[in-house]
Amino acid sequence: MDLSRIDRRYIYLVIAIAIAVPLLLKVQLPVSVGPEVQKVYDEIDSLQSRDCVMISFDFEASSVAEIKPVAEAVIRHAFEKNLRIVGLALFSEGTAIGYNIISSLAEEYGKKYGEDYIYLGFRPQYVSAILGMGENIDQVYPLDYLNDDWKDFPPFSDVENYHDISLVVSIADGSLPTYWVEYAGSRYGQKIAAGITAVMATSYYPYTASGQLVGIIGGLKGAAEYENLLGYTGGGHRGMLAQSSGHLAIIALVILANVAALRKKR
Amino acid sequence: MLSKKIPIAVCFLFGLFGLVQYFSPHPAAVSAYSTVLDWVQIIFAFTLLVGVVSLLQIQLKHVSRKEKYWGYSIVTIVGILVMAVFGFAGGTERGTAFMWVFDNMQVPMQSTVFAMLAFFVATAAYRGFRLRNVEAGILLAAAIIIMLGRIPIGEMISARIPETAEWILNVPSMSAKRAVLIGIGLGSITTALRVILGIERSYLGRN
Amino acid sequence: MTELGTLIALILTLMVFSFLYKENPIYRFAEYLLVGISVGYYLVIICRNTIYPLVIEKLFIHGEYLVIVPVCLGLLMFARLNKRWAYLSRLPLSLMIGFGAGISIPAMLQARILKQMSASMQSLATINGIIILIGIISTITYFYFSKRQEGMFGKVTRLGTYFLMVFFGATFGYTVMSRISLLIGRFEFILRDALRVIS
Repeated sequence: MDLSRIDRRYIYLVIAIAIAVPLLLKVQLPVSVGPEVQKVYDEIDSLQSRDCVMISFDFEASSVAEIKPVAEAVIRHAFEKNLRIVGLALFSEGTAIGYNIISSLAEEYGKKYGEDYIYLGFRPQYVSAILGMGENIDQVYPLDYLNDDWKDFPPFSDVENYHDISLVVSIADGSLPTYWVEYAGSRYGQKIAAGITAVMATSYYPYTASGQLVGIIGGLKGAAEYENLLGYTGGGHRGMLAQSSGHLAIIALVILANVAALRKKR
Repeated sequence: MLSKKIPIAVCFLFGLFGLVQYFSPHPAAVSAYSTVLDWVQIIFAFTLLVGVVSLLQIQLKHVSRKEKYWGYSIVTIVGILVMAVFGFAGGTERGTAFMWVFDNMQVPMQSTVFAMLAFFVATAAYRGFRLRNVEAGILLAAAIIIMLGRIPIGEMISARIPETAEWILNVPSMSAKRAVLIGIGLGSITTALRVILGIERSYLGRN
Repeated sequence: MTELGTLIALILTLMVFSFLYKENPIYRFAEYLLVGISVGYYLVIICRNTIYPLVIEKLFIHGEYLVIVPVCLGLLMFARLNKRWAYLSRLPLSLMIGFGAGISIPAMLQARILKQMSASMQSLATINGIIILIGIISTITYFYFSKRQEGMFGKVTRLGTYFLMVFFGATFGYTVMSRISLLIGRFEFILRDALRVIS
């Protein structure tokens, strides 16, 4: 049997089994916390009650499975610390998903719109939005997502620009944290952290090493680490066994393919 | 005149302004800068609408000319219209018909399209990841260490695996990415200058 | 409604997954539907959440008449839809591209070049710091194509490719991680929310 010419559907089957079976087993693996996630956690944890954090939902629906646990962990932490949250989105689909996540978690924590959080919605041109908020957030977002004047909410009426924002967390599946670093970080000295899909993780290490990013929460594993620090089990933890077996299956496939190729050569 | 010279002049003026205002804290410059940022936002929003109208036009053309798969174009047109009616008439808050369609149709379909990449990446790894030379060996080793180092089972096998993965990410991989970043930065600045000075004109199109 | 929503989401998920067997009409239906719904969603969000507050509200409620300028420029973008008038769209386009180019220069210089270079110089007292510097120099050298990559220069560029291979390998590893996570999300939906096989 020539293993190098195996039908692709057998490979699909192996991957499907490697993911589905661990999900059926209710086994949870211990997760240790890496330095990057710890840095983000420490930064948020060091903020004072009622400090203002900006959470930007910079992702599309395609990556929701991976990025939602990251967003949930950060928002939970912010609500637990009694921080004020300014939510917004620089990707269109992140707008509705971000609004859903933040408002459902607010319900769970008994937080009120306009008092503990606001949601500004979507702006399509992210560079001008990021730069504009450095001058005046009200100019970029005169109205919130629900088309109300958010300045009418007293806890947020004093929020003018990045001077009043302790930390920006960009929850992203692309290069948006880079723009936050280049425009909000460089020009206005804004502190920025990133919650990102794993596929983007290697791109951001130069920014964490240079201190331009506070830290990064990378993918489902990053979410699981953050959940660990907060002491709860969420989407990150639930997927870790399946994640492990999926990786092992692909490593096994690569080894098998190489052995087959070597045998064929001989 | 209007087709080339004026756009190039506008590009030069706004480019120069974008560059110079960075160094000027004068209130007039800051005010003008905020105004232009606002303008860019509004123009860009209209640009996206052009995309929507263009797509609708193409789909309508498919249907009117009964081109291949024209029936599916009707599905696309209906999708656009249904979302538009739901969104404009019922709003975009939680619990609206608009959000219901988004949550139960758009998100599942789009996530599934991207979830299929797991199968494709596995096939690509199986067929393409061959230990042919030193470079391929380094690539393969780095990939396997990261794949093992970022899962709990990797930690269980040996504490050295996540440590090595962390070292790879923070040292050799980071240095290569940093070099690429610096290179892209230099290239972007050169391109930006060429655009402002009217040397790079590809954005004007062919005619 | 929740039950119906989950059922529809399950059917659509399976319709998309049917592509794994082979391209088929069921998948194509889902594909075209997804495009339609996504574009409709986009249209609503742009109009309600961007054009309304930035144009309608500012112009008609706050009387900021200067907004008419970008609106006119924005409307010129529609000239692209007609070949005869398409050149008119170059005006708003040149404004956006020119201004974007201008503001990007200091940002790139500061964030991507100066900050990254200074960070590379700060840890030279450690072995890792030296490895990082060697990695940066050799990788940048690899992208220098004005000189033939041979001799000592060739050895440095070869070292650069090794660093790049580590980066590509690490990125591939993370890509696998990302894609597996997305698949876990869909399988969790099928097994937990739709079929309720797991709690």
